[in-house]
Amino acid sequence: MAGRPDTAGGKPEDDLMEVSMASVKQIVRMQHVVKTYRQGKVDVHAVNDVSLDIEAGDFAVLCGPSGSGKTSILNLIGGLDVPSSGSIRVDDVDLATLDNTALSAVRKNRIGFVFQAYNLIPVMTAFENAEFVLNLQGMSEAEARERVMATLKAVGLEGLEHRRPDEMSGGQQQRVAIARAIVTNPAIVLADEPTANVDSHTAEALLDMMQHLNREHGITFLFSTHDQHVIDRARRIISLHDGKIESDEARP
Amino acid sequence: MNVNRLAWRNIWRRKRRTLITAFSIGFGVMLSVTFTGSGDYTYTKMIDMGASMGMGHVTVQPPGYNLKPTLDKRLRGADGLRQRIVALDGVSDAAVRITGQAMFASARKSVGGGFIAVDPAFERPDNNLLLKSLVEGSMFDDKGGRGIVIGSKLAQKLQVKIGKKVVYTTTDAHGEIVSDIARVTGIFTTGIDMVDGIMALLPIASVQKALNYQKDEATLIAVIIRDQRYAEAMRHRIAALPEAAGTDVLTWKKAQPDLAGVIAFDKAGNYISQFLVGLLIAVGILNTMLMSVLERTREFGVMMAVGMSPQALFRLVMVESFWLAIVGLLLGIIITAPWFYFLYNTGIDFSGAFGTDFSYGGVLVDPVFKARLFKESAMAILGGVFMLALLAGVYPAWRAGRIPPVESLKTI
Repeated sequence: MAGRPDTAGGKPEDDLMEVSMASVKQIVRMQHVVKTYRQGKVDVHAVNDVSLDIEAGDFAVLCGPSGSGKTSILNLIGGLDVPSSGSIRVDDVDLATLDNTALSAVRKNRIGFVFQAYNLIPVMTAFENAEFVLNLQGMSEAEARERVMATLKAVGLEGLEHRRPDEMSGGQQQRVAIARAIVTNPAIVLADEPTANVDSHTAEALLDMMQHLNREHGITFLFSTHDQHVIDRARRIISLHDGKIESDEARP
Repeated sequence: MNVNRLAWRNIWRRKRRTLITAFSIGFGVMLSVTFTGSGDYTYTKMIDMGASMGMGHVTVQPPGYNLKPTLDKRLRGADGLRQRIVALDGVSDAAVRITGQAMFASARKSVGGGFIAVDPAFERPDNNLLLKSLVEGSMFDDKGGRGIVIGSKLAQKLQVKIGKKVVYTTTDAHGEIVSDIARVTGIFTTGIDMVDGIMALLPIASVQKALNYQKDEATLIAVIIRDQRYAEAMRHRIAALPEAAGTDVLTWKKAQPDLAGVIAFDKAGNYISQFLVGLLIAVGILNTMLMSVLERTREFGVMMAVGMSPQALFRLVMVESFWLAIVGLLLGIIITAPWFYFLYNTGIDFSGAFGTDFSYGGVLVDPVFKARLFKESAMAILGGVFMLALLAGVYPAWRAGRIPPVESLKTI
């Protein structure tokens, strides 16, 4: 999964089995990032001078109370929002230099998103939701099909390809969302409270799967979460408070 | 999944709303076809009737004759030019005529009026409304006799019947007052008081003689063409003939400015009505598309998050408008077809309300409301409604692509 879509040449199964060898590569580099929102007449520093590196193969969480800046950091890394100051590089690309179209291309090719509310497109089947991103990349139908089927199999959705979101459970929908996030072999998957809308049993199963994808396929995950289950599984815990990093601990 | 398929599925998320909008587009098509179809039918009838009242769809005349129609102005070599014109493709008929004003007198009365001097050999009911409207007697022959066909109201004023003598007095080519005598061979009733009360047909040979014209001299050649829409093109072709050098070649719009003005005025009203219908359709589509965009703000945020560009999002919403327009047009064709079939074949008879001799712009108007649709009108309606539907989708599409993804994702 380490290869980018434009360079990947092997079979999808091979991609999924491939473990990233560039474990020391910095996927994300944030330097002195500030994000200030205007609320009425008051400036609120959602992110306040945050410098953070995420390395390839990380399974890291951003944790902290509501309003501590977790989602804001994910949005900034994902190019969904722009910092008030500071710089952000994702997979060696300086996001500040990019216009909206180029940012879309970065998201399309280098970043996977998983949202709390699944956010699948309701008129598409599981297969089509995952295939959608590959269509955006312009991948051929046959190649996209092969890759999507392999990815759905990897997230445990074999046989459910033709179901629409309203025909699936919350856990199954989140698996589709994860499949959509990883099907492009992104540099990093940004997961915003991915277990918040599912029961604890399903949350454990989802975490098992993501941990497996991280360990076996080298996919880099960065979560924002309150969920202790997620925090317990993380190999790196970044605690935030009032938009600042309070601690950054690595665990074996 | 390609954008066409996704857009198609998206418009059916809310079936009822899509169907209501599609029906409003379809209803707009029906109204537009009704307005335009009645115009195509009525204006053609009016123009053809106007042409058959003496001047033709295209008129060849001496320079300035339409501005000051005096008999000292005349076409020379009219017969030869007529033969060249009749040979042109698209020309149905052409007739050499002399038109002028005259005083008609019977043994009992005198009445001022106008005459059209014609060669009966070249006059047919199709190109001559007065001949078509004969109610008594017949057309005078072409053997050099001195006949006259007069309007029924003129006959009443003069108190003459078939076979009675009428003396007409007019001014000749040199400004001299001349008179001749004719015997009534026919009486026409067009239903237009202005025509029936003052007009008369005279044999061109005797009028040429009376006016001191040469045999191939006349005041105009009335050209009847197969399709009035091509009058301007025909005018150019006739004007380009070497024999037409030194003449004025006019379309019916110039030769009959009153009729042209009435039609232009009516068309303007028609366009305003259609514009208002179009506006209502556009607002309906705009509302549907805007609602559809606003309720999917979060979804658009997700699409942008996974890599869809603002341009691609714009394209998606525009393709949704495209499909909505296609569905609306198809529905429009389905609901309009039987209605148009009825208007085309049967129509709605308003003779009870307006009578059968309702004239407008100097010509009779058919009291039966019917419709025809020229190919270009049909294309204009379909193209216009389609473009309208697409245009109404531009703002929602633009808006969809403008919402910052981070804001979209906050939307519930």
